[in-house]
Amino acid sequence: MEALYEKQGPATVLRGQHCRLCGHVAFPPNPYGCENCGGSGDALEGRMLAGRGRLLAFVSVNRAVRPNVAVPYTVGSIALEDGPVIRALMNADVAPLHVDSRVEAELIETTKGDAPQLRFRAMEVA
Amino acid sequence: MRRPLREFRPVYVIGIGLHPYQSASETSYVELGLTAIRAALADAAINFSAVESAYTGTALLGMAPSRVMLRHLGASGLPISHIENASASGSTAVHHAALEVATGACDIALAVGVDKPAPIRLAHHETGVRDLIGDHDSPFMHFSLLAHDYMHRYGFTPEQIAQVAVKNYRNASKNPYAQRRTAYSLEEVMAGPRISGMLTRLQCCPVGEGAAAVIIASEDAIIQYGINPSQCVRILSSTSRSEKLYGPGADSDTELTRETLAASCAEAGIAPAELDLVEFHDGFSIEELLYVEALGVCPPGEAPRQLARGDFDIGGRIAVNPSGGLLAMGHPIGPTGVGQICEITLQLRGQAGKRQQPGARLGLAHMIGIGSVCVAHILSK
Repeated sequence: MEALYEKQGPATVLRGQHCRLCGHVAFPPNPYGCENCGGSGDALEGRMLAGRGRLLAFVSVNRAVRPNVAVPYTVGSIALEDGPVIRALMNADVAPLHVDSRVEAELIETTKGDAPQLRFRAMEVA
Repeated sequence: MRRPLREFRPVYVIGIGLHPYQSASETSYVELGLTAIRAALADAAINFSAVESAYTGTALLGMAPSRVMLRHLGASGLPISHIENASASGSTAVHHAALEVATGACDIALAVGVDKPAPIRLAHHETGVRDLIGDHDSPFMHFSLLAHDYMHRYGFTPEQIAQVAVKNYRNASKNPYAQRRTAYSLEEVMAGPRISGMLTRLQCCPVGEGAAAVIIASEDAIIQYGINPSQCVRILSSTSRSEKLYGPGADSDTELTRETLAASCAEAGIAPAELDLVEFHDGFSIEELLYVEALGVCPPGEAPRQLARGDFDIGGRIAVNPSGGLLAMGHPIGPTGVGQICEITLQLRGQAGKRQQPGARLGLAHMIGIGSVCVAHILSK
């Protein structure tokens, strides 16, 4: 299965989707059809989305439904620069998070030996 | 084109019954369901043989639970359907029972909701479409994000949000069918570990077991069976919708609620301000504030202030969740939406005792089901 994200140079980008019929940009991608207009098949094309956006809200979660999920973790609601609003796990350790902060995706090693995992973090102010 | 309920013949709730909502027990779902149905039949003063169609709202019992339950009322051969629509399963059972009577396909239909706690398997996880949070997703995570967004946008504190739960526990302390019947203080609601974000345990609804039943009838049946007209409550609208694509960042549950409630009020021919009471899907404290604003009985960003001054109390401008809502009466899934209709019927009959909203004439029931769907009913005295 294709990953939902990949490294492109120093940046981490998200694998999204664009509908040729109506222009709707979606994340995550799906093979079935466009949620906006119902376009399917050739109407759907992959589109890389910048792993950057604005943090709309974030919380620390202390309870999980599934036993395989380690708590606590921080999750955020992020308006991507390319349009979609997504939810993603946050790395709150490197820099404090604030609503309206600019955030960016990064790949970090969460468990030794496992594939790097995607987290969003507050962008460093240039 | 879709036609609203009111374009067909009038339909009425003529009988209601509940099995108390409670934590998981040894009691079989059959016992839970039969208790509620027998209570509803007794309330309507009819026999089961008069019921011509049955809809069971259930999400967790497994395949084909109805016939093996209903046969103990006398196997009449009536048509039976199961309705699974997540948390709105019971509401959707009421929707279809009302439509079947309204269109004239039958004169008396039963909607029953029954469930027992069981592991929940969401088809959403089987679509093959992954997202970035996967197993980290949960209802309390979702609604705590909405709570933080709301608090940030309007400058409210966690305590102001938690007052929803304080009110609903106060209401449920007067409801013998409620799962949580303690009138918790604000300090008690705020105590204990945070589940997610600002949400404490007592701001998350309990998912237990129980049953609720309503019997819906035509005017012909009311006359035929000599049912006391003063206990018949008319269903003015029965509205069912699913989520569309809303603007980026919009909360889909709130937008879906806004659309569905506006449609339901239009179908009933009433303005939201005319409502005397509302039973909302308050699975988490923040939801009630979002939905009371989406209904349009309170400007955006004002619900916590109006709550604090008692507007939504029993005896206030519009009683919100007089039963105690999902937070306090409980959310056994299948029964919940049917139980809302029971509460509104009691209120409109003037039989709600210590929970009675004075002069109640119009009530609205609202449920959201994950996915998302939304079902609303407006009932009139």
